[in-house]
Amino acid sequence: MDDLQFRRSILADPKSRDDATNEAIKNDAAKQKFAHDVSALDDKIAQAMNIPVPDGLYDNLILRQTMASHQQQKRKTRVRLAMAASVAFVMGLTVNFMMFSHTYKNLGDYAIAHVNHEAAHFSNSAQPKVSLASLNEKMAAFKGSFDSTFGTLIFADYCRFDGSKSLHLVFQGKSSPVNVFILPDDEDITFVKDFANDELQGHSLNFNHSNVIVVGDKNEPIEQWQDRVKQNITWSI
Amino acid sequence: MATKQVRYEALVKALHADLYRYGYWLCHDKHIAEDLVQETFLRAWRALDSLKDEKAAKSWLITILRRENARRFERKRFEMSEYEEATITDVKATSNEQEIENYWLREKIAQMPEEYREPLVLQVIGGFSGEEIANILSLNKNTVMTRLFRARNQLKEAVDDEPKLRGLHNG
Repeated sequence: MDDLQFRRSILADPKSRDDATNEAIKNDAAKQKFAHDVSALDDKIAQAMNIPVPDGLYDNLILRQTMASHQQQKRKTRVRLAMAASVAFVMGLTVNFMMFSHTYKNLGDYAIAHVNHEAAHFSNSAQPKVSLASLNEKMAAFKGSFDSTFGTLIFADYCRFDGSKSLHLVFQGKSSPVNVFILPDDEDITFVKDFANDELQGHSLNFNHSNVIVVGDKNEPIEQWQDRVKQNITWSI
Repeated sequence: MATKQVRYEALVKALHADLYRYGYWLCHDKHIAEDLVQETFLRAWRALDSLKDEKAAKSWLITILRRENARRFERKRFEMSEYEEATITDVKATSNEQEIENYWLREKIAQMPEEYREPLVLQVIGGFSGEEIANILSLNKNTVMTRLFRARNQLKEAVDDEPKLRGLHNG
Protein backbone atom coordinates (compact mmCIF):
# COMPACT_ATOMS: atom_id res chain seq x y z
CA MET A 1 0.00 0.00 0.00
CA ASP A 2 1.60 3.23 -1.06
CA ASP A 3 1.37 6.40 0.95
CA LEU A 4 -1.24 8.15 -1.21
CA GLN A 5 -3.52 5.16 -1.15
CA PHE A 6 -3.11 4.92 2.60
CA ARG A 7 -3.95 8.60 3.08
CA ARG A 8 -6.96 8.33 0.82
CA SER A 9 -8.30 5.35 2.67
CA ILE A 10 -7.80 6.91 6.10
CA LEU A 11 -9.24 10.26 5.11
CA ALA A 12 -12.20 8.79 3.28
CA ASP A 13 -13.30 6.68 6.22
CA PRO A 14 -11.19 6.82 9.38
CA LYS A 15 -13.57 4.60 11.35
CA SER A 16 -13.33 1.50 9.24
CA ARG A 17 -9.86 0.34 8.40
CA ASP A 18 -9.36 -2.66 6.23
CA ASP A 19 -6.65 -5.24 6.83
CA ALA A 20 -4.24 -3.70 4.35
CA THR A 21 -4.45 -0.37 6.12
CA ASN A 22 -3.96 -1.94 9.52
CA GLU A 23 -0.95 -3.82 8.18
CA ALA A 24 0.51 -0.61 6.83
CA ILE A 25 0.05 1.22 10.13
CA LYS A 26 1.60 -1.48 12.28
CA ASN A 27 5.23 -0.84 11.42
CA ASP A 28 5.14 2.81 10.52
CA ALA A 29 5.18 5.48 13.22
CA ALA A 30 4.43 8.29 10.75
CA LYS A 31 1.38 6.49 9.47
CA GLN A 32 0.27 5.78 13.03
CA LYS A 33 0.51 9.46 13.81
CA PHE A 34 -1.40 10.36 10.66
CA ALA A 35 -4.15 7.90 11.47
CA HIS A 36 -4.31 9.20 15.00
CA ASP A 37 -4.48 12.83 13.83
CA VAL A 38 -7.26 12.11 11.39
CA SER A 39 -9.16 10.20 14.01
CA ALA A 40 -8.84 13.16 16.38
CA LEU A 41 -9.92 15.50 13.62
CA ASP A 42 -12.90 13.33 12.96
CA ASP A 43 -13.96 13.56 16.58
CA LYS A 44 -13.72 17.32 16.32
CA ILE A 45 -15.74 17.33 13.11
CA ALA A 46 -18.38 15.18 14.72
CA GLN A 47 -18.48 17.51 17.69
CA ALA A 48 -18.72 20.57 15.46
CA MET A 49 -21.43 19.06 13.33
CA ASN A 50 -23.40 18.06 16.36
CA ILE A 51 -25.18 21.36 16.57
CA PRO A 52 -27.78 21.59 19.32
CA VAL A 53 -31.30 20.67 18.34
CA PRO A 54 -33.86 23.34 19.23
CA ASP A 55 -35.83 22.70 22.39
CA GLY A 56 -39.25 21.36 21.73
CA LEU A 57 -38.57 20.27 18.16
CA TYR A 58 -39.76 16.80 19.05
CA ASP A 59 -42.93 18.15 20.64
CA ASN A 60 -43.54 20.43 17.67
CA LEU A 61 -43.21 17.55 15.27
CA ILE A 62 -45.73 15.48 17.18
CA LEU A 63 -48.05 18.47 17.46
CA ARG A 64 -47.92 19.26 13.77
CA GLN A 65 -48.69 15.67 12.90
CA THR A 66 -51.56 15.48 15.38
CA MET A 67 -53.05 18.66 13.95
CA ALA A 68 -52.59 17.46 10.40
CA SER A 69 -54.25 14.12 11.03
CA HIS A 70 -57.03 15.89 12.93
CA GLN A 71 -57.65 18.09 9.89
CA GLN A 72 -57.65 15.00 7.73
CA GLN A 73 -60.14 13.38 10.08
CA LYS A 74 -62.40 16.43 9.87
CA ARG A 75 -62.18 16.43 6.10
CA LYS A 76 -63.11 12.74 6.11
CA THR A 77 -66.09 13.46 8.36
CA ARG A 78 -67.21 16.19 5.98
CA VAL A 79 -66.89 13.88 3.02
CA ARG A 80 -68.85 11.19 4.86
CA LEU A 81 -71.54 13.70 5.76
CA ALA A 82 -71.74 14.88 2.17
CA MET A 83 -72.03 11.29 0.99
CA ALA A 84 -74.78 10.54 3.49
CA ALA A 85 -76.61 13.69 2.39
CA SER A 86 -76.32 12.67 -1.26
CA VAL A 87 -77.67 9.22 -0.53
CA ALA A 88 -80.58 10.69 1.42
CA PHE A 89 -81.24 13.14 -1.40
CA VAL A 90 -81.27 10.41 -4.03
CA MET A 91 -83.53 8.27 -1.87
CA GLY A 92 -85.88 11.22 -1.49
CA LEU A 93 -85.94 11.71 -5.23
CA THR A 94 -86.59 8.02 -5.81
CA VAL A 95 -89.45 7.91 -3.33
CA ASN A 96 -90.88 11.07 -4.85
CA PHE A 97 -90.60 9.58 -8.29
CA MET A 98 -92.23 6.33 -7.25
CA MET A 99 -95.08 7.95 -5.35
CA PHE A 100 -96.04 10.72 -7.69
CA SER A 101 -95.06 9.56 -11.12
CA HIS A 102 -97.60 8.29 -13.57
CA THR A 103 -98.09 4.66 -12.88
CA TYR A 104 -100.32 3.95 -15.84
CA LYS A 105 -99.16 4.22 -19.38
CA ASN A 106 -102.38 5.45 -20.96
CA LEU A 107 -105.75 6.99 -20.19
CA GLY A 108 -107.63 3.75 -20.66
CA ASP A 109 -105.66 1.70 -18.14
CA TYR A 110 -106.03 4.38 -15.56
CA ALA A 111 -109.71 4.95 -16.20
CA ILE A 112 -110.44 1.24 -15.75
CA ALA A 113 -108.33 1.05 -12.62
CA HIS A 114 -110.09 4.09 -11.21
CA VAL A 115 -113.53 2.71 -11.93
CA ASN A 116 -112.65 -0.66 -10.41
CA HIS A 117 -111.23 0.98 -7.35
CA GLU A 118 -114.36 3.02 -6.68
CA ALA A 119 -116.93 0.53 -7.95
CA ALA A 120 -117.93 -0.43 -4.42
CA HIS A 121 -118.97 3.14 -3.59
CA PHE A 122 -121.58 3.46 -6.32
CA SER A 123 -124.73 1.48 -6.64
CA ASN A 124 -126.75 1.59 -9.81
CA SER A 125 -129.95 2.07 -7.88
CA ALA A 126 -128.79 5.10 -5.87
CA GLN A 127 -131.00 8.15 -5.93
CA PRO A 128 -129.90 11.04 -8.13
CA LYS A 129 -128.43 13.72 -5.89
CA VAL A 130 -126.74 16.12 -8.26
CA SER A 131 -128.54 19.03 -9.93
CA LEU A 132 -127.54 20.48 -13.27
CA ALA A 133 -126.58 23.76 -11.60
CA SER A 134 -124.13 22.17 -9.16
CA LEU A 135 -122.75 19.98 -11.96
CA ASN A 136 -122.08 23.05 -14.10
CA GLU A 137 -120.49 24.83 -11.14
CA LYS A 138 -117.96 22.00 -11.04
CA MET A 139 -117.60 21.95 -14.82
CA ALA A 140 -116.58 25.60 -14.76
CA ALA A 141 -113.13 24.51 -13.65
CA PHE A 142 -112.75 22.81 -17.03
CA LYS A 143 -114.30 25.70 -18.91
CA GLY A 144 -117.27 23.65 -19.96
CA SER A 145 -120.95 23.26 -19.14
CA PHE A 146 -123.79 20.83 -19.85
CA ASP A 147 -126.98 22.07 -21.47
CA SER A 148 -129.07 19.39 -19.79
CA THR A 149 -128.55 16.25 -17.78
CA PHE A 150 -128.62 13.40 -20.24
CA GLY A 151 -129.16 10.60 -17.75
CA THR A 152 -129.57 9.94 -14.08
CA LEU A 153 -126.55 11.54 -12.42
CA ILE A 154 -125.72 9.79 -9.15
CA PHE A 155 -122.47 11.42 -8.31
CA ALA A 156 -120.27 14.30 -9.50
CA ASP A 157 -117.07 15.43 -7.83
CA TYR A 158 -113.44 16.21 -8.42
CA CYS A 159 -111.12 13.25 -8.45
CA ARG A 160 -107.41 12.81 -8.82
CA PHE A 161 -106.94 11.21 -12.18
CA ASP A 162 -103.35 9.98 -12.18
CA GLY A 163 -102.01 13.17 -10.69
CA SER A 164 -104.19 15.68 -12.47
CA LYS A 165 -107.46 17.17 -11.29
CA SER A 166 -110.50 15.67 -12.99
CA LEU A 167 -114.25 15.65 -12.68
CA HIS A 168 -115.75 12.24 -12.08
CA LEU A 169 -119.42 11.80 -13.02
CA VAL A 170 -121.36 8.63 -12.29
CA PHE A 171 -124.59 7.98 -14.17
CA GLN A 172 -127.13 5.26 -13.73
CA GLY A 173 -126.57 2.67 -16.43
CA LYS A 174 -128.46 -0.38 -17.58
CA SER A 175 -126.90 -2.89 -15.20
CA SER A 176 -124.05 -0.97 -13.55
CA PRO A 177 -123.08 2.69 -13.23
CA VAL A 178 -121.53 4.51 -16.17
CA ASN A 179 -118.52 6.67 -15.38
CA VAL A 180 -117.59 9.87 -17.19
CA PHE A 181 -114.28 11.55 -16.54
CA ILE A 182 -113.52 15.07 -17.64
CA LEU A 183 -109.86 15.90 -17.35
CA PRO A 184 -107.41 18.41 -18.76
CA ASP A 185 -105.39 17.30 -21.79
CA ASP A 186 -102.18 16.12 -20.21
CA GLU A 187 -99.08 15.34 -22.22
CA ASP A 188 -97.74 12.99 -19.59
CA ILE A 189 -100.28 10.30 -20.28
CA THR A 190 -100.99 8.77 -23.67
CA PHE A 191 -104.39 9.32 -25.18
CA VAL A 192 -106.17 6.15 -26.32
CA LYS A 193 -109.45 6.27 -28.16
CA ASP A 194 -110.90 2.86 -27.27
CA PHE A 195 -110.04 0.53 -24.47
CA ALA A 196 -111.54 -2.43 -22.70
CA ASN A 197 -110.86 -5.25 -20.29
CA ASP A 198 -112.91 -8.34 -19.44
CA GLU A 199 -115.86 -6.45 -17.97
CA LEU A 200 -115.40 -2.83 -18.82
CA GLN A 201 -115.07 -0.87 -22.03
CA GLY A 202 -114.42 2.76 -22.65
CA HIS A 203 -114.11 5.51 -25.20
CA SER A 204 -112.19 8.75 -25.04
CA LEU A 205 -113.02 12.00 -26.73
CA ASN A 206 -110.50 14.71 -27.17
CA PHE A 207 -111.75 18.30 -27.15
CA ASN A 208 -109.59 21.40 -27.41
CA HIS A 209 -108.11 21.30 -23.96
CA SER A 210 -109.91 18.48 -22.26
CA ASN A 211 -110.44 14.75 -22.59
CA VAL A 212 -113.77 13.19 -21.86
CA ILE A 213 -113.68 9.50 -21.06
CA VAL A 214 -116.72 7.28 -20.80
CA VAL A 215 -116.36 3.91 -19.06
CA GLY A 216 -119.14 1.36 -18.60
CA ASP A 217 -119.67 -2.37 -18.60
CA LYS A 218 -119.92 -4.39 -21.78
CA ASN A 219 -123.74 -4.18 -21.88
CA GLU A 220 -123.69 -0.43 -21.96
CA PRO A 221 -124.04 1.39 -25.31
CA ILE A 222 -120.95 3.47 -24.78
CA GLU A 223 -121.17 5.04 -28.24
CA GLN A 224 -124.58 6.31 -27.34
CA TRP A 225 -123.35 7.81 -24.08
CA GLN A 226 -120.55 9.43 -25.93
CA ASP A 227 -122.92 11.02 -28.41
CA ARG A 228 -125.04 12.33 -25.55
CA VAL A 229 -122.03 13.90 -23.92
CA LYS A 230 -120.96 15.41 -27.23
CA GLN A 231 -124.36 16.91 -27.85
CA ASN A 232 -124.87 18.36 -24.41
CA ILE A 233 -121.47 19.73 -23.59
CA THR A 234 -120.51 23.30 -24.44
CA TRP A 235 -116.94 24.55 -24.05
CA SER A 236 -116.16 28.14 -23.28
CA ILE A 237 -112.89 29.84 -23.99
CA MET B 1 -54.35 4.00 13.73
CA ALA B 2 -52.83 3.75 17.16
CA THR B 3 -49.98 1.60 15.94
CA LYS B 4 -49.25 4.07 13.18
CA GLN B 5 -49.14 6.83 15.77
CA VAL B 6 -46.79 4.81 17.93
CA ARG B 7 -44.49 4.02 15.01
CA TYR B 8 -44.48 7.65 14.01
CA GLU B 9 -43.64 8.91 17.49
CA ALA B 10 -40.85 6.39 17.82
CA LEU B 11 -39.49 7.44 14.47
CA VAL B 12 -39.56 11.12 15.39
CA LYS B 13 -37.97 10.50 18.74
CA ALA B 14 -35.15 8.42 17.33
CA LEU B 15 -34.31 10.44 14.27
CA HIS B 16 -35.41 14.06 14.59
CA ALA B 17 -32.07 15.25 15.99
CA ASP B 18 -29.98 13.69 13.25
CA LEU B 19 -32.37 14.87 10.63
CA TYR B 20 -32.33 18.40 11.99
CA ARG B 21 -28.53 18.44 11.98
CA TYR B 22 -28.43 17.10 8.48
CA GLY B 23 -30.94 19.74 7.40
CA TYR B 24 -28.91 22.40 9.09
CA TRP B 25 -25.79 21.45 7.18
CA LEU B 26 -27.75 21.52 3.96
CA CYS B 27 -29.10 25.04 4.39
CA HIS B 28 -27.07 26.68 7.21
CA ASP B 29 -30.17 28.14 8.74
CA LYS B 30 -31.70 26.99 11.99
CA HIS B 31 -35.20 28.05 11.05
CA ILE B 32 -35.15 26.65 7.55
CA ALA B 33 -33.68 23.45 8.94
CA GLU B 34 -36.57 23.25 11.40
CA ASP B 35 -39.10 23.85 8.63
CA LEU B 36 -37.45 21.19 6.52
CA VAL B 37 -37.65 18.70 9.34
CA GLN B 38 -41.31 19.58 9.98
CA GLU B 39 -42.17 19.16 6.34
CA THR B 40 -40.19 15.95 6.10
CA PHE B 41 -41.93 14.33 9.05
CA LEU B 42 -45.32 15.45 7.82
CA ARG B 43 -44.67 13.77 4.51
CA ALA B 44 -43.30 10.78 6.34
CA TRP B 45 -46.54 10.55 8.34
CA ARG B 46 -48.62 10.53 5.19
CA ALA B 47 -46.44 7.88 3.59
CA LEU B 48 -45.65 5.91 6.72
CA ASP B 49 -47.38 2.81 5.44
CA SER B 50 -44.93 2.64 2.56
CA LEU B 51 -42.02 2.32 4.99
CA LYS B 52 -41.71 -1.43 5.43
CA ASP B 53 -38.21 -1.75 6.80
CA GLU B 54 -37.56 0.27 9.93
CA LYS B 55 -33.83 -0.03 9.31
CA ALA B 56 -34.23 1.96 6.13
CA ALA B 57 -36.10 4.71 7.96
CA LYS B 58 -33.12 7.02 8.32
CA SER B 59 -32.10 7.03 4.69
CA TRP B 60 -35.77 7.21 3.70
CA LEU B 61 -36.25 10.35 5.80
CA ILE B 62 -33.02 11.86 4.51
CA THR B 63 -34.17 11.28 0.96
CA ILE B 64 -37.43 13.09 1.74
CA LEU B 65 -35.55 15.93 3.37
CA ARG B 66 -33.20 16.31 0.43
CA ARG B 67 -36.19 16.47 -1.89
CA GLU B 68 -37.83 19.07 0.32
CA ASN B 69 -34.64 21.08 0.29
CA ALA B 70 -34.50 20.88 -3.50
CA ARG B 71 -38.08 22.11 -3.72
CA ARG B 72 -37.03 25.14 -1.75
CA PHE B 73 -34.76 26.05 -4.61
CA GLU B 74 -37.45 25.47 -7.19
CA ARG B 75 -39.56 28.04 -5.41
CA LYS B 76 -36.86 30.62 -4.73
CA ARG B 77 -34.11 30.08 -7.17
CA PHE B 78 -30.62 31.20 -6.14
CA GLU B 79 -31.82 33.04 -3.09
CA MET B 80 -30.20 30.61 -0.68
CA SER B 81 -27.58 29.14 -2.93
CA GLU B 82 -24.85 31.52 -1.80
CA TYR B 83 -23.47 30.79 1.56
CA GLU B 84 -23.51 33.82 3.80
CA GLU B 85 -21.27 33.86 6.78
CA ALA B 86 -23.70 35.96 8.75
CA THR B 87 -26.21 33.16 8.86
CA ILE B 88 -23.88 30.92 10.78
CA THR B 89 -24.72 31.54 14.35
CA ASP B 90 -22.71 30.77 17.38
CA VAL B 91 -25.13 28.55 19.10
CA LYS B 92 -23.62 28.67 22.55
CA ALA B 93 -21.42 31.63 23.20
CA THR B 94 -19.74 30.15 26.21
CA SER B 95 -16.17 31.14 25.68
CA ASN B 96 -14.49 27.89 26.50
CA GLU B 97 -11.81 26.55 24.25
CA GLN B 98 -13.89 23.71 22.89
CA GLU B 99 -16.73 25.96 21.81
CA ILE B 100 -14.43 28.33 20.02
CA GLU B 101 -12.87 25.45 18.21
CA ASN B 102 -16.30 24.09 17.33
CA TYR B 103 -17.34 27.47 16.05
CA TRP B 104 -14.25 27.75 13.93
CA LEU B 105 -14.64 24.28 12.54
CA ARG B 106 -18.33 24.87 11.80
CA GLU B 107 -17.40 27.82 9.67
CA LYS B 108 -14.90 25.70 7.80
CA ILE B 109 -17.46 22.96 7.27
CA ALA B 110 -19.99 25.49 6.05
CA GLN B 111 -17.51 26.95 3.61
CA MET B 112 -16.76 23.59 2.08
CA PRO B 113 -18.31 22.95 -1.31
CA GLU B 114 -21.72 21.35 -0.98
CA GLU B 115 -20.66 18.24 -2.86
CA TYR B 116 -17.94 17.52 -0.29
CA ARG B 117 -19.91 18.51 2.74
CA GLU B 118 -22.97 16.44 2.11
CA PRO B 119 -21.29 13.03 2.03
CA LEU B 120 -19.26 14.02 5.08
CA VAL B 121 -22.39 14.98 7.03
CA LEU B 122 -24.03 11.72 6.02
CA GLN B 123 -21.00 9.78 7.16
CA VAL B 124 -20.35 11.56 10.43
CA ILE B 125 -23.90 12.36 11.58
CA GLY B 126 -25.82 9.70 9.72
CA GLY B 127 -23.27 6.96 10.30
CA PHE B 128 -23.83 5.67 6.79
CA SER B 129 -21.29 3.57 4.93
CA GLY B 130 -19.81 4.71 1.65
CA GLU B 131 -22.19 2.47 -0.21
CA GLU B 132 -25.26 3.81 1.58
CA ILE B 133 -24.18 7.38 0.93
CA ALA B 134 -23.72 6.52 -2.73
CA ASN B 135 -27.31 5.24 -2.76
CA ILE B 136 -28.77 8.29 -1.07
CA LEU B 137 -26.93 10.73 -3.30
CA SER B 138 -27.30 8.64 -6.46
CA LEU B 139 -23.55 8.60 -7.04
CA ASN B 140 -21.17 5.71 -7.43
CA LYS B 141 -19.18 4.57 -4.47
CA ASN B 142 -15.79 5.65 -5.78
CA THR B 143 -17.02 9.20 -6.30
CA VAL B 144 -18.33 9.25 -2.76
CA MET B 145 -15.05 7.95 -1.32
CA THR B 146 -13.09 10.54 -3.31
CA ARG B 147 -15.32 13.33 -2.07
CA LEU B 148 -15.04 12.13 1.51
CA PHE B 149 -11.28 12.05 1.17
CA ARG B 150 -11.20 15.58 -0.27
CA ALA B 151 -13.57 16.88 2.37
CA ARG B 152 -11.44 15.60 5.24
CA ASN B 153 -8.29 16.60 3.49
CA GLN B 154 -9.53 20.17 3.18
CA LEU B 155 -10.50 20.28 6.81
CA LYS B 156 -7.20 18.73 7.87
CA GLU B 157 -5.27 21.32 5.92
CA ALA B 158 -7.36 24.04 7.47
CA VAL B 159 -6.75 22.64 10.95
CA ASP B 160 -3.04 22.36 10.28
CA ASP B 161 -3.05 26.08 9.53
CA GLU B 162 -5.20 26.72 12.55
CA PRO B 163 -2.75 28.38 15.01
CA LYS B 164 -2.57 31.52 12.86
CA LEU B 165 -6.32 31.75 12.65
CA ARG B 166 -6.76 30.96 16.30
CA GLY B 167 -4.72 34.01 17.08
CA LEU B 168 -7.11 36.12 15.07
CA HIS B 169 -10.10 34.69 16.84
CA ASN B 170 -8.74 35.08 20.31
CA GLY B 171 -7.17 38.43 19.72
